[in-house]
Parts: sequence; C-alpha cells; structure tokens
Amino acid sequence: MTDLHVAAAQVMGGDYVAVTENCLPEHVGHVGGKAVGLGSLLQAGQQVPASFVVTARAYREYQRGQTRGMTPELRTAIAGGYAALCVHGADVPVAVRSSAVVEDSAEASWAGQFQTFLGVSGSAEVLARVQECWAAALDPQVGAYRASQQPGEEAGGDDSGVAVIVQELVDARASGVMFTRHPETGDRSLVVIESSYGLGEAVVGGEVVPDLFEINKITREQHSSRLGSKHTEYRLAPGGRGVEARPVNEARQQAWSISEPEVMALAEVAVALEAKIGRGLDVEWAIGSAPSTHGEEALFTLQVRPITVDPRRRQDRRQRPAAGPGKGKDRDAIGHILGRLSGHDPGTGAG
Amino acid sequence: MDQGRRSFRNPFEVETPPGAEGWESMYPTYLQFGEELRERDEQKLWFFDQMHNPEPLYPFDLMMPESWLVSLNQYTTRVWNLPTALGIEHRIVNGYLYLSPNVIDDPAAMAEREPVFAERARHYFENWDEIYANWVDKATDCIERLKAIGFEPLPEREPLDTVLHARGTTTAFELLSTYSRYLENMHEMAYYHFEMLNLAYGAYLTFLEFCRSHFPAITDDLVARMVAGIDVILYRPDAELRRLAKRAVELGVGGVLTSGADPDGVQAELANSEAGRQWLTDLEEVKDPWFYYSTGSGYCHAKRAWIDDMRPPFAALADYVRRVERGEDLSRPLDQLRAERERIADGYRSLLDDDEVAGFDSLLALARQVFPFVENHNFYVEHWHHSIFFNKARDLGAVLVAAGLLDTDDDIFFLHRYEVYRVLYEAEARWALGVPTSSEYTWREEVARRRQIYAAFEKWNPPPALGVPPEKVTEPITVTLFGINTQTIDRWLAAEEDGGTADRLLGLAASPGTAEGVARVVNQVEELDQLEDGEILVCPLTAPSWSIVFARIAAAVSDGGGIMSHAAIVSREYGLPAVVATGVGTRVLHTGDRLRVDGGTGVVTVLERALPPAGTAPAGEVVGA
Repeated sequence: MTDLHVAAAQVMGGDYVAVTENCLPEHVGHVGGKAVGLGSLLQAGQQVPASFVVTARAYREYQRGQTRGMTPELRTAIAGGYAALCVHGADVPVAVRSSAVVEDSAEASWAGQFQTFLGVSGSAEVLARVQECWAAALDPQVGAYRASQQPGEEAGGDDSGVAVIVQELVDARASGVMFTRHPETGDRSLVVIESSYGLGEAVVGGEVVPDLFEINKITREQHSSRLGSKHTEYRLAPGGRGVEARPVNEARQQAWSISEPEVMALAEVAVALEAKIGRGLDVEWAIGSAPSTHGEEALFTLQVRPITVDPRRRQDRRQRPAAGPGKGKDRDAIGHILGRLSGHDPGTGAG
Repeated sequence: MDQGRRSFRNPFEVETPPGAEGWESMYPTYLQFGEELRERDEQKLWFFDQMHNPEPLYPFDLMMPESWLVSLNQYTTRVWNLPTALGIEHRIVNGYLYLSPNVIDDPAAMAEREPVFAERARHYFENWDEIYANWVDKATDCIERLKAIGFEPLPEREPLDTVLHARGTTTAFELLSTYSRYLENMHEMAYYHFEMLNLAYGAYLTFLEFCRSHFPAITDDLVARMVAGIDVILYRPDAELRRLAKRAVELGVGGVLTSGADPDGVQAELANSEAGRQWLTDLEEVKDPWFYYSTGSGYCHAKRAWIDDMRPPFAALADYVRRVERGEDLSRPLDQLRAERERIADGYRSLLDDDEVAGFDSLLALARQVFPFVENHNFYVEHWHHSIFFNKARDLGAVLVAAGLLDTDDDIFFLHRYEVYRVLYEAEARWALGVPTSSEYTWREEVARRRQIYAAFEKWNPPPALGVPPEKVTEPITVTLFGINTQTIDRWLAAEEDGGTADRLLGLAASPGTAEGVARVVNQVEELDQLEDGEILVCPLTAPSWSIVFARIAAAVSDGGGIMSHAAIVSREYGLPAVVATGVGTRVLHTGDRLRVDGGTGVVTVLERALPPAGTAPAGEVVGA
C-alpha cells in the first residue's frame, strides 16, 4: 500500500467512500466493476494511479435527498478522499468516472455509456463532477440499458446504482489497451498491445489507428508489429484543467509510440496479470508521470476486465479438430495421426 | 477471389534454352512430357524439386530421383496405402526435375484404403523404437556392402586364378555383375530412406496442426524447436571439427591449421612433428563416417563430400582454432538447448485448457519419438551412402577410360545408368575381341555433346512451378517433405506475375529476427569463400556443410527449403534471421543489393539495387586485357 492509500484510508469515514485497494469482487454491488478491476490490479502488485471510490451507497443517499443536494456528510467524505490524493501537491488533476455495477462484467461491456471527466482539479470541481456522474446514472436512457442487461449475480444481490472513481490523472506520453490473448483469433500465446500518443481516449474512442504489437508470451519475442496512424494525441491542458487534443507531427506519426523495452515491459505486465487474475484480460495502460510518482515516469495499469469477444469474430470452436487424442482408446496420438493422414481432420481438404 | 484460374507456364510450351537443343535424348522418355498425356499433364501442378536437385540433372545422377520415384511412391501407394495420396510423378524440363503430387479424393477409394493403412502404419508407430534400431543396422550394413564394392580396370589377360580355381566366369563378367549389385545397393538404400519417413513426417505434421489449431499464431520454427532433437547425428561432423580444433590447440599445432596452407600442405607440415602426427591419427579416425558429408544435398555427384575435398572442413578448422585461441568455448550448450526446448513446450502447455493438455502431450511425445529418424536418416542416406556411391561411380568411370571408351573419369555422369550397361558391354566385347569395336568413339562424342547441353541448362532459370495448381495443396508428402502448401503457390504466382522484378519477396519465416545488409548470391559451395563478414547469404539451398559460414553472415535467404530445412535449422541455432522457400531469390536478387530480411514474417525487401551501369563489364573482368 502506498503512503497515499494509507492517508486516504485514514480520512475516509462511513461507507460513502472506499479505498480502491480494498475493492474485491464481492464488493461489486457497492463499488462497481471498474473499482473492482482497479482493486485487482493493486492486489496483483501493479502500479495504478492513486484513487478512491465514491460508493453506490453515496449515490443512493444522494438519490434520496436530491432536492436537498449533497449532504454535508457526503461532501466531507468526498472532499476528504480528494484531499488524500493531494498529499503530493495541491489540486492534483484527476479523472472522475462512473463505475456502474453492471459495467465491465464479462457479459456486458458497454464502456462509454457512463460519464468520464478528465483533468478535474480542485475540491469544488470534483464534487460537481461526481454529482454529474450521479445525474447521468439517473438518466432514463441509461436506466433502460441497465434493465436490458440484467446485472443478475454480478451485482451481488445489492441494489443497483453507480459508484464513482476519483483517480489522479497520469500525464501520459503514450497509452493504449492490451489483450492477453488475440482478440480476434483467440490465440492464447499472444499479448496484443495497441498504443498511441497521449491519453488513452484517442485509442478507446477509435479516433486514431494505434500502433500494434503482438508478443509471444512464451519466447517474449515480437511476433508482429504494425505502425499506426496517430495524428492526434490528448494531453493534460496546461495548469491541469481539462485535456486538449493536439496534432502529432509527421515525424512522430512515422515513429513508434513506445520503445521496444516498453513493449516488452507491457507484455510482462500482461503475463503477470494473467497469472494473478485469470486468463483473457483486456488491460488499459499508460506510460507517463503522476503526482504519486513525484513526477517520475512509470508504467501504469488503468483498468482490467475480461476480454469481451465480438461474437462475429469469435473463433468457431466447431472448426477445431474434434476430440483430439487422449479421449478414449481410439483417439490416442497414433489414432490422431492416422486420422489426419486419412483426411479426416480439417486442413486436408480431402475429407 | 478466383484463384483457381491462375496458373503457371504451360509445361508443354517451355522453350529450350539456346544450345540445349536435342536435350531430350539425355533422359528416359518416361520422365518427359509427352503428347500421350498432354491433356492431363498440362492441367496439373508441377513444382521444381529445388530441395534435392537445385542443379540440372546429370544423366547418371538421375539414379537418385529414379530410386525415390519407386521407393517413396511404393510406400505411399502400395505399402501404407495412404488413403489420401498416390505417388508423386517426375518430369524433366530443360534438365531440371519437376514433381507433381496425386491425391485421392474419391470417398469410396479412401474408405477402402483406410483400414489397410491404419493396420500397417499403426504397427510401425507402436514398434517405432525397435524398428528404428533395426533400421540403423540395415542402413549401416547396406553402406558396408557398398564400401566392399570395387571396380578395377579389365586386366591385359585373365588372372591365372580363374583357371586354377576353375571358376568358369571371368573378370569382365564380374564387372557387369558388380555393376548390377551396385545399382541394386542404391535401390535398396532408397527403400530404407523412405521406410519410415512418410510416417515420421505424418506424426510431425499432426502435431504441427494441433499447435496451429490451438495457437493460430504459432510459427513453424517454434513447433520445430519443441520437437527437434538436440544431440543429432547430422551435427556430429561439425561437432567433430570443433573437437579437433580444441585438440590441435592442446597439442600446440593450432598454428599449422591457421597457416593458410591448403589441406595437403597443412597435413604435410603436421606429419613433421610428433604432436602433429598424433592429431593426424585423430583426424583419420574421425573421417569415417563423419567426413562423408556432402557439400550439397547428396543428390549431385559434383557436390563433393569433405572426404573428397578437404578445403571446407579445413577452412572451418582454421576458424575454430582461432576461436579457441581467443578463449571461446566451442561446445554446443546441450543442456541449455534441452532446457530451452522444454521451456517452450511447458509454455504452450500451460496456456492450454485442462482437457487439451493430454492431446498436446501425447502428440508431442510421438513427434519427438519419430523425429530422430527424420534428422538422422539424412546423414546415413544422403551423406554417408550417397557420397560413397558417387565415388564408386568415379572408379567405374576410370575403368571405362582405361577401356578407351570415355575420356575422363567424370564422363560417366553424362550417361544414364542403363546406358552404362551398354558401354560396359562394349568394354567387355572389346576386351573379348581384342580389336576395336565399331562404335569406339560414339560415347566420347556423345558425352562432349551432352556437356555442352548441360552448360546451356545451367544458364536457364527454372521457374518454381509449371501448369495449373489445385485450389488447395493437400498431399501430405508435398506439404511436409517439400514444404509446399497453398500459400507457397500463391507466393510463387505473385512473383511470376510481376516478372520477378518486385522489391519485396515472400518466403517462409524460418528463423526470427531482422537484419539489413548486402546480398551475396552464392550458387555453389565453392563460391562461399567470396562471402564477406556481415553479408546476407542468398542461395538456392544450403547443405549442412555450409554451417561453417553461418557464424559470419547477417542473415540467410534460400530459394528452397521446408519446415525443417537445413538453412532454417542452422539459422535458428546461430540466432540469425532466415527466410526460406522464396522460390526466386537467387534469380531476382543480386550480389551487392542492400536487403532487409525479416525472419519473423518471411519478407525480404530490396532497399537498394546494385545493378551495374549499362555498358560496363561485370566486376572482376578486365576489359581489353
């Protein structure tokens, strides 16, 4: 636990805010899937930007007393959480994001349906943005999505609601998404890394074609790479208020957005996370500096979730060789080879 | 995309290169395209057998492909009754060998063959180790019998012994019957060659496909690294050179080996000292069998073995001595290689689901069990046996020279083996008659004509394939042994369509890594000494004895080569990028071109062409001298 997390834990009262590191899967109904993802990254020993969670209970409290606005208790708890993020500097810029209990589950990945505010700075603005996240969750349209997605067990039986994550913003030199298996072919031996300049919004929003790297997990050799088309980057605005889109000059467009050692470091993170969390992960990451690293550059993981496979791209398992050897006496290795040479398995075209 | 309509040149419309007119009489008609089968043959795929015969076929050397035409194909068609394939046909075009697979696609025929195949192949798989141990004995015995065969010029008069032992038959009779035994010995070895090979490749292919279906991105190279043996006989000649180099340094005679003198000079100098003589004794012990190591694929007599031309091993010895003197450890890190092999296999296994692990393990175990045969048969057959076989032919050539029928010992290679029967009969007849026979000069003139035709063949560039490719290349022997699949055909078609001027060549990704450098096109082992450190080797195909240059090159690009080709194996061993099976590399790339070789993707890019300016003489030629 970093100094900052300890500090945050000390100031947090009641159930309105939670320490991200303590967010376990069983708390999903309380803190939301995104916070559980951050918690699992922290438990896996990864560097994660400092953060705290405004819980779903706070949201419900707000919902009950909407006409009165935020209660003093809520304000105190959230402002306290933010103050803890500011131990390394005043008014540190943060990202404020909704973490809904149905979001980020394996069954329903609809990132983007909830609010995200980047470059929020100062206690008053943090409170205002948290309140906007709550307001968005009350939007009837979002409510309809949630009803159709049926959170079920994922919500842990708790009331539906929305939690909000307040997280220091990394001034990212490069960022992107990586997959611990190939998102299209399902190949488990590859880590697929997408990377572009600046904050991850350009990649997540599909604004740029990111650089692509495929790394073999076993040999740690690069399997393939493809230079993207990265004409825009989002950077923290001067003074830390908001983010701004900047053009990327031709020379940088033609260069890789991250170095080979950085590609390999990311692959190491992917392999480590699979070992700790489980297979088939989609990880958001950034390389840059943050107040909690005292301005030093570091590799941050920002989010982890199970890969959502697009059904159109999902490899048809029926295409696989049927049983494979080892299933019954007639499918030993010899039987498998005889079958192959007799034209039974796919690939011979003669079956 | 309708790729079914794309085709290569019609095999019946290939032009004869100037100077090669009348070449057809050099080869049997049953190995040539003929009108009788025209309709059928021009609709088939015929691919150039670059792997075994990158050079034009000498009529005598045709013995090798003709032997495997019967042995490999008998195993496929009649012995195993492979349900999916019949034999691979041969055709000669302008001196080069083209092959065409045949598949069985009639479900009834396949079903009828399947139980026969299953029973027979299973017997071999289930008793593999025992059969392989026997195989080694059979192959070694066949080689020993070949060694015992000798051809001596016919004596002035029959030895007295024939009379005293009342033998009845004569030396001339013995010459003809020895020649028959000699040919039989080659046929016999060809059967052993393919006795286990089809099945071994089948096991390997099945494991490869299992890996691909579970890990679509897995490369052939990684599968090979999981299966390939570590302590392989094929590496022994090189290992022996390393050991001899170390020994020379220990004995204090390393300086003689690095003196720059030719092998004879070095050996003469060594014979002057006690330590040197000790080293020479060691060398003699190593030579048989480890110097029966061809500088080619073992299918062409002109590619001599180390035992015949000691320059390649002595050049390597000098290099190794220098490295030992610099304090390098030359021994292959066997434990490290073993650990690496297990690490890769464990890595892939750990990514599989529980219900997939048993399949992976059993197929990997069987692939590893059969693979030593794949790796080792090559030494027994192509190197050891074939090298001796070609040398015996030279002895026979000398007999025919002595009989006044040929001019040089090597002339015999311009005669088909059945023509040699006729020449031998003439020798016998002349010997019997004691007067010249009427055709005394015919063979010598014919050989001279064929030498000219052969030179014309060498100037012709054989296209990688002819005819019409099938929609998919599925025949298992074509895919595994020759490394030719649907993608290969597509690459060749693309290269043909842009006329071979493309600055981007696609081959098989054989050994990962990227390198940039200057190309050196090397067609023969003799040209290897032109190679400068850090150049990119561009060659038709490499043989194991080329290994010695791999320490000096930046990357390797070969026209031929398959899943387990030599260039691929050695490049991986040296950690060099390699692209094999480009089909056209030696034709479209030139010495001096700047290349980028990406051994991970199989792409060779020409960064800068080094074409000589028009009107100037090629480098190295002095104008007007």
